[in-house]
Amino acid sequence: MTDQILDAQGLLCPMPVLEAKKALTKMAAGATLKIIATDPAAKGDFEVFCRNTGHELLESSQDGSIYSFRIRRSA
Amino acid sequence: MSNALYILLCSGEHEKIQMAGMMASVAAVSERPVEVFVSMNALLAFANGMQPAERYHGGEFSEVMCAKNAPDAIKLFQSGKEFGDLKMWACSMALDVKGWEMSHLEKDLFDGPGGLTKFLSDAENGQLITV
Repeated sequence: MTDQILDAQGLLCPMPVLEAKKALTKMAAGATLKIIATDPAAKGDFEVFCRNTGHELLESSQDGSIYSFRIRRSA
Repeated sequence: MSNALYILLCSGEHEKIQMAGMMASVAAVSERPVEVFVSMNALLAFANGMQPAERYHGGEFSEVMCAKNAPDAIKLFQSGKEFGDLKMWACSMALDVKGWEMSHLEKDLFDGPGGLTKFLSDAENGQLITV
């Protein structure tokens, strides 16, 4: 289940991560954020972002030039 | 050694200010403490109330970034400050020779004037990058 969707398509690095951070800051612990991006660096960036911040990367996938991620906000 | 990032930003080139903004914002939102010391030509780019065309001067890549609406460097620093632990210091020497007060600089971005001695000393405990 996804609580919020962030459409980051067309955003240039590092905006997908910054916008995700902005969205996650407003979400309750345990809520999930889905991010859709076209930045090819997004996969590596979100893996590291989640590792450093403690948020859980539930899903990371690619369909052509579209990258999708689901992140669960940590406490 | 802590994982704090210290950026010594001296260049007024758009490309370098952009990269500093990208590094600072990404590190800050990734919960890494960041401090940026702004001096020399870089300080001029942080003057209050300038339009991007006046603020940023660069080469070929600056033109491409402007044409493709790359994220504004000042906004990147602002995001780092809003969503992470980012402190920005204006070099007191640079302020002095320009005859500027802190009020000459972009609002709500700088934590105050700073000295190089303290900045370099603090940076001994982290990672220092000069741009």
